[in-house]
Amino acid sequence: MNSNNKYKILIVEDEDNINTLLSALLETNGYQVISSRTAQGGLMLFNSHKPDLIILDLGLPDLDGKELLKKIRREHLTPIIVLSARSDEKDKILALDLGANDYVTKPFGSGELVARVRSCLRNSATLSGGGHSPGKTFESDGLLIDYDSRRVFIDSVEIKLTQTEYNIIAFLSEYPGKVMTYSAIIKAIWGYNDLGSTKKLQVNMANIRKKFGAKPGKKNYIINELGVGYRMCERD
Amino acid sequence: MKNKKIIKSSIISLTVLVVCFIFCLINNFTIKNDYLNSSFFILGVLFTSVFTDGYLYGVLSATLSTFIVNFAFTEPYFNLDFSVAENIISSLILYIVALVTCTITSKLKYQESMKTKIETEIMRGNLLRAISHDLKTPLTTIYGSSSALLDDFDKYSREQKFKMLKGIKEDSHWLIRMVENLLSVTKLEDGNVKINKTETALDELIDSILIKFQKNYPDIEVSVDIPDELVSIPMDPMLIQQVVINILENAVQHAEGMTELSMKVFTISQKAIFEIRDNGCGIAPDKLKNIFLGNFSTDQSNKNGRVTNMGIGLSLCATIIKAHGGDIVAENIKTGGALFRFTLNMEKNEVEEDEQQQ
Repeated sequence: MNSNNKYKILIVEDEDNINTLLSALLETNGYQVISSRTAQGGLMLFNSHKPDLIILDLGLPDLDGKELLKKIRREHLTPIIVLSARSDEKDKILALDLGANDYVTKPFGSGELVARVRSCLRNSATLSGGGHSPGKTFESDGLLIDYDSRRVFIDSVEIKLTQTEYNIIAFLSEYPGKVMTYSAIIKAIWGYNDLGSTKKLQVNMANIRKKFGAKPGKKNYIINELGVGYRMCERD
Repeated sequence: MKNKKIIKSSIISLTVLVVCFIFCLINNFTIKNDYLNSSFFILGVLFTSVFTDGYLYGVLSATLSTFIVNFAFTEPYFNLDFSVAENIISSLILYIVALVTCTITSKLKYQESMKTKIETEIMRGNLLRAISHDLKTPLTTIYGSSSALLDDFDKYSREQKFKMLKGIKEDSHWLIRMVENLLSVTKLEDGNVKINKTETALDELIDSILIKFQKNYPDIEVSVDIPDELVSIPMDPMLIQQVVINILENAVQHAEGMTELSMKVFTISQKAIFEIRDNGCGIAPDKLKNIFLGNFSTDQSNKNGRVTNMGIGLSLCATIIKAHGGDIVAENIKTGGALFRFTLNMEKNEVEEDEQQQ
């Protein structure tokens, strides 16, 4: 296979073993990999190679990963997946709000990581900046959203949603597979974030789940990221 | 907190003085013995010194007592007179009583705090020993299998390699769970426990728990019974998730003969009650008593001969629930099996509201 056809992924991670693991994993899955062990080196590689996706560790020796994230985000929309050893939700939310597309907590399973990479690349290829062209729909595993008529179907049966509920679903479906933080959703739907908006969002989400017939623990269209936000299940 | 202590100590000192005063008055009208008066106040100073912190209140009440005795209850009455030798001596006695008692009380209090400190240290030491012992087993598998594969990769059959790799994965997963628990333990045992509570939708919590649990135990079905309406509970969702998963895992590992595992959540007057029950072998009565205290004995092995980390897991559950201001109990069900029940308060205060808005 010609290497030019492969997606190029930049890994910025200081742990040698994890770096090796990631490279092997991604190369086996058909990606071209370049890697750096420092933030400075990562930035240089980014500027010279223009990768399609970056996997960024937050704990780097020379610069906080978040700073590198900010630097790159100032000018580029290249998808970034953040690797974090901390399972603290605040860190995840911060990284997402700084513009990371997704996060993976260490230790991670190989399947999980590759799935996130795939979904990030697909999103950046099919979507640039949201907005819907006329006649556009979203489909995922029986769920169908018709953006023109603002209607939602599950297995061809229409689900009656309120304005707000539809807006939430439509917003999440613009970024399938990506975690949207509570505050990002609230800002997009209500435009402001005040006392009780989280509660408002929770109530709406509970209604949506009920209307969708979601069962706890089963595969649902909207995935809970506890303490962080929600993720729309990806289209197949 | 400090103000409260000052108020409490002042109230104690004053009450004791007033009580002594009343006794002396009674004495003056009935027995009429002046020596009794100073005895009453000596006793008073003793009480004050025992029940207040430090030297301040003891010495203060000794001073006040001196003046009261001298002024009101010794001849010449209603006159301060320090020239009489017995007045000076009784005042001296009061001060000595105050100082000696305060010294003894402070020492006792210090020793008590040292005792609890030593106890925590011993518990920590036990925990550390148990963990180090527990860590060796999975590390042996991981290190042994991986080095064997590296050295003679081609010598092993496909099936053997698969088995060894599976062992590595399983034992690393065990290590991950152990580390998660330990991290939470250290987070919570760091003196001032501050739980960052956020309003969490119950069905979202249960959903996350089930997904995480089923990832590791795909063959085990957990039946769930939760209220239909939205229930929002202030909690640290990741910690409560860990509590429930620890209890579920405990059932999987220890409830022999279990065929049903169920979880029920309901609310009673501003309290959310979580119940997790299995129909396995139940908990041995001698273990039931100390089940949340951290049973770190290393001879406890499950049927696979693998030492489990549940001693740490369940004691962590108790720590987390206590830090949330709730209760946790474990009991045996009459029809067989074990029941774990914990409660969380649903009332919130303004501080939590603020944090939620960050």
